Amino acid sequence: MQQGDGTEAQVTWEDQQNINRFGRLNNRLHELHDEIKLAKEANENLDDAGNELILSDEDVVRFQIGEVFAHMPRDDVETRLEQMKEDAAKKLERLEQEKESIVSQMAELKKILYGKFKDAINLEED
Amino acid sequence: MAAAAASSSSSSSAAATPQGVTERRGIPAASFVEDVETYLRQAGLDVNSGLAFLQERLQQYKIVEMKLLAQQRDLQAKIPDIEKCLDIVATLQAKKALGEALTADFELSEGIYSRAKIEDTDSVCLWLGANVMLEYSCDEANALLKKNLENAKASLEVLVADLQFLRDQQTITQIRLSED
Repeated sequence: MQQGDGTEAQVTWEDQQNINRFGRLNNRLHELHDEIKLAKEANENLDDAGNELILSDEDVVRFQIGEVFAHMPRDDVETRLEQMKEDAAKKLERLEQEKESIVSQMAELKKILYGKFKDAINLEED
Repeated sequence: MAAAAASSSSSSSAAATPQGVTERRGIPAASFVEDVETYLRQAGLDVNSGLAFLQERLQQYKIVEMKLLAQQRDLQAKIPDIEKCLDIVATLQAKKALGEALTADFELSEGIYSRAKIEDTDSVCLWLGANVMLEYSCDEANALLKKNLENAKASLEVLVADLQFLRDQQTITQIRLSED
């Protein structure tokens, strides 16, 4: 990720810590991308389930809990589904917020590090 | 596990400092060097052996990283599993409190389902691993599963911190390689 060929600027411990921080943030950002993708899928699945439930005219539906499909009254499933949707939406929002904060912290660090090392350091993705 | 938790708690908050932390859970810290020439002279190394040492260290870090990542994946898969178990135990308990039976379709074999009516149940059997299954009361099962969940989450946290530490050491080593 960071390959400087320059020996012009001395890397101080403070710089090193900034680079470490940048590396950590970058790793977390990659993890977040995956987590956000999964969270979005979960949201869509729940939406689909909700729509199917509206279309179905059965009073008792099979709802997966653990490894089995429990027979549950439609109203109960509806409430549970709503609750799950809400949780999933909150989770997605939390992840998006974390991503924003990381992106801005990385921009800040980039400014500092590029300011000192110019093109002797490369903080971009390949 | 207990020993690991004890040793990590002492260093979990500590970032690697030039002279501070020397290792974390057996992972040696990379030493930070500002003045390469002085370092080499003090260590009695010439440039090539210094570089070779760093390269080797970097490889070792990478191997440890792979191991930790595999552990992380296992734990991340385990946590939702435990949550699922907790969910079904809670459902059983709720049904019992209502005095209703739980009707459930369960898988007999791949793609073949049968129907079960679970009435007035007080206990569930938990698969403990190593071909052992033990019957627990619902409350006990709930408590045990919750404890397992907590443990798994705690280990994951320690593991993530280990990984961060490891990556810092990798970064330090890479920077030194690029400087030398």
